[in-house]
Amino acid sequence: MELQHLTNDNFEQCIKCTICTVYCPVAAVNPDYPGPKQAGPDGERLRLKKANFYDEALKYCINCKRCEVACPSNVRIGDIIQKARIKYSRKKPSVRDFILSHTDLVGTLATPFAPVVNSMLGLKPVKRVLDLGFDIDHRRQFPRYSFQTFERWYKKEAASKQNQYNKQVSYFHGCYANYNHPQLGRDLVKVMNALGVGVQLLKKEKCCGVALISNGFLEQAKQQAQVNMRSIRESVVNKQMPVITTSSTCTFTIRDEYPHLLGIETADVREQIELATRYIYRLLREEKSALKFNNEKIKIAYHTPCHMEKLGWGYYSIQLLRMIPNVELKILPSQCCGIAGTYGFKKENYTTSQEIGITLFSRIEEEDMDYVVTDCETCKWQIEMSTSRICEHPISILAQALE
Amino acid sequence: MKFDSVIIGGGLAGLVCGIKLSQQGHRCVIISSGQSALHFLSGSFDLLNRLPDGTPVDHPLTAVKELIKMEPEHPYTKLGEIRFEELVAEAEQFFSGIGIELAGSATRNHFRVTPMGTLKRTWLTLADFVTCENDIQLPWKQLTIFNPAGFLDFYPHFVADEFRKLGATCEVHEFNLPDLDILRRNPSELRSTNIARILDKPDNREHLCRILIRESSGTDAILLPACLGLDQPDTVRIIEERVGKPVYLIPTIPPSIAGIGMQQFLRNTFQKLGGVYMMGDHVMNADIENHRVKRVYSYNHGDIPFEANHFVLATGSYFSRGLTATRDRVYEPVFNLNVSYLKERQEWYTGNIFDAQAYQQFGVSTSLDFQAVTGDTLLSNLYVGGAILEGFNPIKEGSGGGVSILTALDIAGKILKDQSVWNCSI
Amino acid sequence: MQSFVLLFSLYRENKIYPDMQNHEPNKVYDVIIVGGGATGAGIARDCARRGLRVILVERKDMATGATGRNHGLLHSGARYAVTDRESAEECIKENKILKNIASHCVEETEGLFVTLPEDDLAYQNRFAEACRAAGIDAEIIDPKEAVRMEPSVHPDIIGAVKVPDGSIDPFRLTISNVMDAKEHGALILTYHEVTGLILEQARVTGVKVYDHLQKETKEIRGTVIVNAGGIWGQYISTFAGIKISMLPAKGALLIFGHRVNNMVLNRCRKPADADILVPGDTISLIGTTSSNIPYDQIDNMMVTPQEVDLLIREGEKLAPCLAYTRILRAYAGVRPLVAADNDSTGRNVSRGIVLLDHAERDGLEGYITITGGKLMTYRLMAEWATDLVCKKLNIEARCTTAEEKLPGSRETMEEINQRISSLPATARKSAIYRHGDRAQKLAENTLQDNSLVCECEEVSVGEVKYALEELNVKKLVDLRRRTRVGMGTCQGELCACRASGLMGSSGIYCTKRAKQDLSAFLNERWKGIYPVAWGDTLRECEYTSWIYESVCGLKPNQE
Repeated sequence: MELQHLTNDNFEQCIKCTICTVYCPVAAVNPDYPGPKQAGPDGERLRLKKANFYDEALKYCINCKRCEVACPSNVRIGDIIQKARIKYSRKKPSVRDFILSHTDLVGTLATPFAPVVNSMLGLKPVKRVLDLGFDIDHRRQFPRYSFQTFERWYKKEAASKQNQYNKQVSYFHGCYANYNHPQLGRDLVKVMNALGVGVQLLKKEKCCGVALISNGFLEQAKQQAQVNMRSIRESVVNKQMPVITTSSTCTFTIRDEYPHLLGIETADVREQIELATRYIYRLLREEKSALKFNNEKIKIAYHTPCHMEKLGWGYYSIQLLRMIPNVELKILPSQCCGIAGTYGFKKENYTTSQEIGITLFSRIEEEDMDYVVTDCETCKWQIEMSTSRICEHPISILAQALE
Repeated sequence: MKFDSVIIGGGLAGLVCGIKLSQQGHRCVIISSGQSALHFLSGSFDLLNRLPDGTPVDHPLTAVKELIKMEPEHPYTKLGEIRFEELVAEAEQFFSGIGIELAGSATRNHFRVTPMGTLKRTWLTLADFVTCENDIQLPWKQLTIFNPAGFLDFYPHFVADEFRKLGATCEVHEFNLPDLDILRRNPSELRSTNIARILDKPDNREHLCRILIRESSGTDAILLPACLGLDQPDTVRIIEERVGKPVYLIPTIPPSIAGIGMQQFLRNTFQKLGGVYMMGDHVMNADIENHRVKRVYSYNHGDIPFEANHFVLATGSYFSRGLTATRDRVYEPVFNLNVSYLKERQEWYTGNIFDAQAYQQFGVSTSLDFQAVTGDTLLSNLYVGGAILEGFNPIKEGSGGGVSILTALDIAGKILKDQSVWNCSI
Repeated sequence: MQSFVLLFSLYRENKIYPDMQNHEPNKVYDVIIVGGGATGAGIARDCARRGLRVILVERKDMATGATGRNHGLLHSGARYAVTDRESAEECIKENKILKNIASHCVEETEGLFVTLPEDDLAYQNRFAEACRAAGIDAEIIDPKEAVRMEPSVHPDIIGAVKVPDGSIDPFRLTISNVMDAKEHGALILTYHEVTGLILEQARVTGVKVYDHLQKETKEIRGTVIVNAGGIWGQYISTFAGIKISMLPAKGALLIFGHRVNNMVLNRCRKPADADILVPGDTISLIGTTSSNIPYDQIDNMMVTPQEVDLLIREGEKLAPCLAYTRILRAYAGVRPLVAADNDSTGRNVSRGIVLLDHAERDGLEGYITITGGKLMTYRLMAEWATDLVCKKLNIEARCTTAEEKLPGSRETMEEINQRISSLPATARKSAIYRHGDRAQKLAENTLQDNSLVCECEEVSVGEVKYALEELNVKKLVDLRRRTRVGMGTCQGELCACRASGLMGSSGIYCTKRAKQDLSAFLNERWKGIYPVAWGDTLRECEYTSWIYESVCGLKPNQE
């Protein structure tokens, strides 16, 4: 079946059924957002008539792509909106936007001083300054920076042991696993090694650029995308090593946002960039490999992040978690948590962000569980900030459950 | 990914089929390319309201005999009179069995009220909606219709006019709540679902109830457009208790809150029974071996196929892109199944939009058992159900809901008879 | 709602719909204009501005004939430069006038005449020469530069000439003329069909009309009757026993779902089929075909599949993306070509303006015919006709229509934008685009008036109310021509019922008539849709039928 994914006029497939607006998490809570139908296909027709029909309210779109998942006409509504922002928005990004979006730059600067930075960012006066000076909401907690990056740990502790395995993959760890939560990277290495697969780093890895794109730093995003694509091609094409990831958003950005929003082609290697859970699922299915688990009881609830919903890959993470012998697994209804990367950190978006997530948070509080499990780091922050629960990655849960 | 059955299409037909299979322990996946046409549900399911020659139908169970004589390719004709009656009974039980309360029965059509006040024959209607036994007299003498000020997708004056013709006194009352002004900041958002999000808040609901109490003295029943109860299905009952008068809903222009509720309820039921529902994915192609579909591949899952014993295609008509029309042909895009349509484009339509349009009757040709055919090959394990089928006009006959539900139940029955079950651990 | 109740009561007291008042039966008008196209409206404006007592009668709505059924091209005259120098000169003169007096109806897009590899490049020089000779600023440019300026054009073009073409909205133009006429005292009666001319001795002294809305016959008396009926003028003249030979030439066009091009695209060759692609408001138009039809078919225009295929096939050559762009509608108009008086074969056709004084031609006083011409020259035609009317009335008054700006084009749009800045951005910009400075009428909009009726074209409740109050709206189709309700990609799927609901509750008509009107509107839309109903257009048709027939239970000829 042809999807007409490639024409620029995809908005013409819209037949005004308005289902997208029904499922838009922002439109449900923020009336200042025109909703995906109006902002996307309807607006595009008007913008083609005259560029001044661009409406700055499009900035309220969180790019969750739930409109695209719901659309019966396969209109790339989210892409249309993001492209319009890129093409028409006259608003210059602020210093705050720069800080929030340059995740790896800020990460590199913060890591050597992690303890100081973490405690500073936790201080009330600092938060007030961030709030007043930079419009970063004071009710937000910054993700803590780790003293040692994943890359440093890997080079020191893991790199030398990887060559013993016949099968090799490259790991795109992303900023979060590198600067904030190296334990996730370690867990990944542990699980992959247990499956008999060695883990290598990419030759050069930059932030996938999702925050740069959403904050309007397009040139910077394109440069970083090109660096990443060179490294990915080197791994996939030259070394026949697929690239695995642990962040649903990084994965989605590289596979689909690069070509759709940045005009950087990924088609030749797209199928070789995937979440670790999908890679493991395939491996277990095709090669009858197996993981040996301990018998500890664990109660978890899986939250499907927006970009995971768009990828359609929640199934793999859930099936892997189901393999754990003594697991009690609930699936939370798929809905947006509201953080949407850097969006929820901005002062002007805080209320919207929390209102979007509120039913999810109360649902999480109601359930009896040890952990919320999710594939997205920003969902983890939001859930941990907004509920009393700890949030873990499926790979970390698997690592914990290994014998 | 291995399943007992793969169902392509997550609307009414796909979900009914998936639920019935899952109830019997089958492991099913539904692959749905976006939300379904259930979002335009009027609040009722039609079975058969008119014969193709235009004769109104009061008794579908007897009228189906006439239909069978008139339309050789009609899905009901393929079922036959006896199976039709069995499935109708099964369908009525099916919904009450999963907890959906519907009024009506196939022994006699009742009437529903449209957003423009017309009374239309129908088969089953959701509990909260207005129904009448006939289109001559209403069961109430005095009615009040309440409408949120400025809500344009419902026509209280049209409805009141129609009701007056039927001998009832009918008043229209516009109401406003301060919170509705929040919506008005955004010109495109005064739609049923957005209003429901406001009216469903307990404070606003209470405010509304007080207006209803104040403005409905002497009224036998209160009528509201279906713009409440988005997340809370028992809203009407709560309002009724508070107001102390019967409260009924009248459908609005889509999106339909009843339809959204129905879609979500059926999906939840399916998932609770262990079914896997994949939203926003598209089946791209299939491996066919020895006249059987072996596996299908989707856009999202790429090289990881869906394997199963049985496949069901319930992708809907043009709207849901189950059928695609180009300048010179109509085709089925997933398996390229045989589609019956007229070759000359001129013959697809008439000049009057209210005529029965030939294009509405085009669809996938199947065996009598709803098995798919491509070229000369019968695909014995691929069943086709719902709006994608040829030979019926859902709009003119008022048969869309019935065809989807009955063919889905029939196909599920056929699959269940074929007892071979896979080992599908992962 | 309160504003609506107020509106309703004002309406009931007949305060706000002056044009809904009937004419005074015993009044003798200086001039009766038959026909509500651009020419008729232009004459009404010109006559009214010159102080005459004017009444205009139109059998349907304004701009329903050839005026509303063409490209909406603001010709520079370039198209006629080689073949018809006189028309070309008229065009460029009127082009400059319209850019000034009707700026809110005009988009100065510029145009390209491109040469495809299959065309003769030698024609380009001849073309550019002829343009210059006619006073048209034509500039030969590098084809690569042309592709850069207009990316939709076929990349293989071998030649390009830039000319001052633009686009013009014929509905807005006609209504602006009507507004100005009304503001100068003219009475406009739409849905009044002429059923006879009143003859007294050798003189026409009035018209018999049938009012389609009130379903009654009336007589209107006037000193001079102007036949501005276009192609229908031949029929009207038969009431006076006068023969005018019109040669109906059908031209079919296609409307695409969005703006494909921002500059008008023409083939640089002798005018032929489907060689003009015009951007107009949110859409683009390709046309036309050309075929002669019998006179008795002029009210029966259907676009055939062959015409549709031809338009797409030729259109793709100009802009390849047309091959996969969604088509919204197909429609056809009839060019009012006039056979030269002494030519019974009809081979000598005049494309120019034809003004007939029937006193001179046929010995019948009090009756003149203005016909031929084109949308571009409507104002000039009106001026000629009015000059003749004045001569007959012995009135000396100067024509001011070339200098005085039309309502809507008088103030700067930035100022208007400021004045209605409280309105939501997109609807505000759309209203200004459509109504020019008259958009300031929306300044008193309440929050409820901001609600959208038409989502494709961003038409708000407030804008609909304004149109109902001031723009001669009797039916939904009229509202469409005033506001673009139902002209977007959904073709009325969601907006038609909302608009009819508003018209029903504002007292334009009763709920029964509202439903009838809604059915009629949907059928009017359908006539243009079904010749191109495949792909997404057919999906939308199916959805529309579900909504109106299944969900709403709307029937044709609602009892």
